[in-house]
Amino acid sequence: MSNGKNPRNVLTKEDYDDLGKTHPAIPDLADALHQGRLARRDFLRTVTLLGLSAGAAYGLAGRIAGDGSVTSARAQESPKMGGHLNWSMNVKDISDPAIYDWSEKGNVARQILDPLCRVYPDNVTRPYLAERWEVSDDLKTWTFHLRQGVKWNNGDDFNADDVVFNFKRWLDPATGSSNLGRFSSMTVKEGDSTRMVDGAVEKIDDHTVRFNLATADLALPESMGDYPALIAHRRFADEGGNLIQNPVGTGPFLLRDFAVGERAVFTKRDPAEYWGDEIFLDGLTIVDHGDDHSAWLSALVSGQVQGLYRLINDLVPVVRGAPHLKLYETVTGQTGVARMKVTAAPFDNPLVRRAIQACIDHEKLLAFAYQGLGVPGEDHHVSPVHPEYYALPKLTQDYELARRLLAEAGYTDDNPLDVTIDCVTQPSWEPNTCQVIAEMVKPAGIIMNVNIMPGGTYWDRWTTAPLGFTSWTHRPLGVQVLNLAYRTGVPWNESSYSNPDFDATLDRALGLLDPDQRREVMGELERILQGDAVIIQPYWRSVFTASHQNVHGFEIQPAEELYFTKVWMA
Amino acid sequence: MIIFLGKRFAYLILTMLIVSILLFLLLEVNGQAVAIKVLGPYSLEEQRQIWLERNGYFDPIWTRYLDWLGRMVSGDFGESIRFKVPVGDVLWPRLLNTAILGGVVFAVMVPLALALGVLAGMREGSALDRTISIGSVITTSIPEFASAVLLSALFVFWLGWLPGTSNMMNGFDPMQLVLPVTVLVLYGFGYIARMTRASMAEVMQTPYIRTAVLKGLPYKHVITRHALRNALIAPFTVIMLQINWLLSGVIVVEFFFAYKGFGALLLEASLNQDIYMIQACAMVAVFVAVATQTIADIGYTYLNPRIRFT
Repeated sequence: MSNGKNPRNVLTKEDYDDLGKTHPAIPDLADALHQGRLARRDFLRTVTLLGLSAGAAYGLAGRIAGDGSVTSARAQESPKMGGHLNWSMNVKDISDPAIYDWSEKGNVARQILDPLCRVYPDNVTRPYLAERWEVSDDLKTWTFHLRQGVKWNNGDDFNADDVVFNFKRWLDPATGSSNLGRFSSMTVKEGDSTRMVDGAVEKIDDHTVRFNLATADLALPESMGDYPALIAHRRFADEGGNLIQNPVGTGPFLLRDFAVGERAVFTKRDPAEYWGDEIFLDGLTIVDHGDDHSAWLSALVSGQVQGLYRLINDLVPVVRGAPHLKLYETVTGQTGVARMKVTAAPFDNPLVRRAIQACIDHEKLLAFAYQGLGVPGEDHHVSPVHPEYYALPKLTQDYELARRLLAEAGYTDDNPLDVTIDCVTQPSWEPNTCQVIAEMVKPAGIIMNVNIMPGGTYWDRWTTAPLGFTSWTHRPLGVQVLNLAYRTGVPWNESSYSNPDFDATLDRALGLLDPDQRREVMGELERILQGDAVIIQPYWRSVFTASHQNVHGFEIQPAEELYFTKVWMA
Repeated sequence: MIIFLGKRFAYLILTMLIVSILLFLLLEVNGQAVAIKVLGPYSLEEQRQIWLERNGYFDPIWTRYLDWLGRMVSGDFGESIRFKVPVGDVLWPRLLNTAILGGVVFAVMVPLALALGVLAGMREGSALDRTISIGSVITTSIPEFASAVLLSALFVFWLGWLPGTSNMMNGFDPMQLVLPVTVLVLYGFGYIARMTRASMAEVMQTPYIRTAVLKGLPYKHVITRHALRNALIAPFTVIMLQINWLLSGVIVVEFFFAYKGFGALLLEASLNQDIYMIQACAMVAVFVAVATQTIADIGYTYLNPRIRFT
């Protein structure tokens, strides 16, 4: 506690009553913040999830903890209107937002479409197209109040029908959307298929939608901020189902020109029609410079673009040495996992998986494969940046154990375990990591061949390869990735992992509001996943990007989401 | 002449037919794989079956091949899986971009290489000859990916004189061609120059040149009217082969400088398993290879009267 005051002296009884009306748990969270049991960031994240507006949450944290606004520095800048910004990033097909499987697709579409909630650079989720929400005590009924006065760029009003349409479409298995796993709390399994629970999405009025969940889901707003959850127009499917041909959106820009592999050109919307603050830029072009990251940097250095979507770690020293460039860095929940398909031989044998796991020294892996720019992984896909992270004892490299497990599984020096790991050529940290893993398993007598393949080939088989290395983007909560990647039967469960205990524990975690209690349950989840040795998770990596010094207002977001609503050029 | 052209044309058609059969067998026989590429990895089995049925994948293989060939001949290459537009919409502009790049490279490289090769070959063993020869060997020995990095480091990162990429984002910009053209010229000119030099040196040793010199003909006339024509036969072969290299062998340069050309397209199509695009690119590349070979054969007859149309 920085100011030494009791919050009961800072906050009045009326304040407490008001907070309790938003959600009964908020007063307790305020006490926890005051007593130092809850970090400021966790407090902000949780109370905004419970429906307190971002402004009120920051104000409350400031009154209790005594520190000022985090955005004060930005207020000193005086933005300049105008200018056309060029940004380097791969331009991929964006025709159907429901089935996006690359962050880059979301980043192009995000200039014309908006999500209901947005995960900000401080990793806190706040309402965006939604204005606020209320949640029941059991976290099963979420009432979202939508922002009024939002216009689609075809002149229609944004309303509850748009939201209902998108959720119904996402949760129809025929759509093939990863949102089926993301919003699994609204689905039910019937035999081999999954469908939306009847009445899960309910229109209350034109600007209110209620979500009636089958299981509690604390991460619902966070999931709504993920890149495949951009809200398309309610007639999207009827009008061709192609965003490129019919770029109707609520976002800050209009799509003027688009060519996969080349460019996406935007101009800003008429400020009178756009619901947000006026955009400083006149226009924006996202330029595709191919897959060679040095070409991206060349374009930046020579002024052809003013910023990059991503700067690979190998090129960080170049930007550090260039005075006219700015480097952006953030510690994230971005990672890659060498995942073993538990239904495919030889990985259907837990002894084999545990033997491989026992060979890994995560610290060294981070140092060799990513220049130490991150945090070592722990093979359970929950990061120290996640609020519910539970610190388990560190894994240690143990070749004796590995050899014993292999012998038990029937592998000897004469009959060694011989496996192949599939990975993509780019970005280079992925094959580099696989090479280091392959070297680390050698002393235990394991032969691991690294099969480096083009992205197009790998992504065709990323869910079917027996052993593959897959990159995973940042999600603000630990439970989100567990829900997407390790719950039984969800589309992105690439390891085919299926553990009823894990699923049930995950359901419990999703229903716990108190971060301390949730952390305990997350500890169980982490132990289960780590113990089942489904993945080798080398490290959590810091991500970087760069821009010219004359670009202002840009902030790097942990999931590398690009928003240009506050960006201006000097 | 007509018989010769007819034969060459028949050879061209035969080559392309063989390539088309190979391509078809490699890329089209496994219909299931094509369906997954077109509809995406998350498509349902039922959707794939409908797609296969609708696109005739259950027909006999020869029927499918003839249908496929008919579409290719009529210019209907299908829709690109990666670019989501008809293949031709991407292919032809990219081919034009590479033609521009290749044209500029040729315009610089061929006269430069011939001039240097002739100069070196005229006075074999001279200081000029040694300088040109060593220079040619050095530049040709440096692969494009190395010279591209070196030139970028110098002119983009250090001096800041030239644009770092060449994707012509805001329309055609000659400055953006400087680096890729320089890299390609440096790599390609030495080969032609060395071939020209060797050929020229050989011709300069022949009795008829000595006779011409001893007859008192001006040296310029000896070179231009007597030596050059014979000396150009070998370099002409190399120059014609460079056309193929400039079409699909410039992948490294196009990739490095993000130049949206045919080589980069072939790479993108391959990396993304854009089957229809790969088919079209391969057919175009083979056509250009065989066509340039035909042109080279015709060219020989003009350069060397001993070769006749047969």
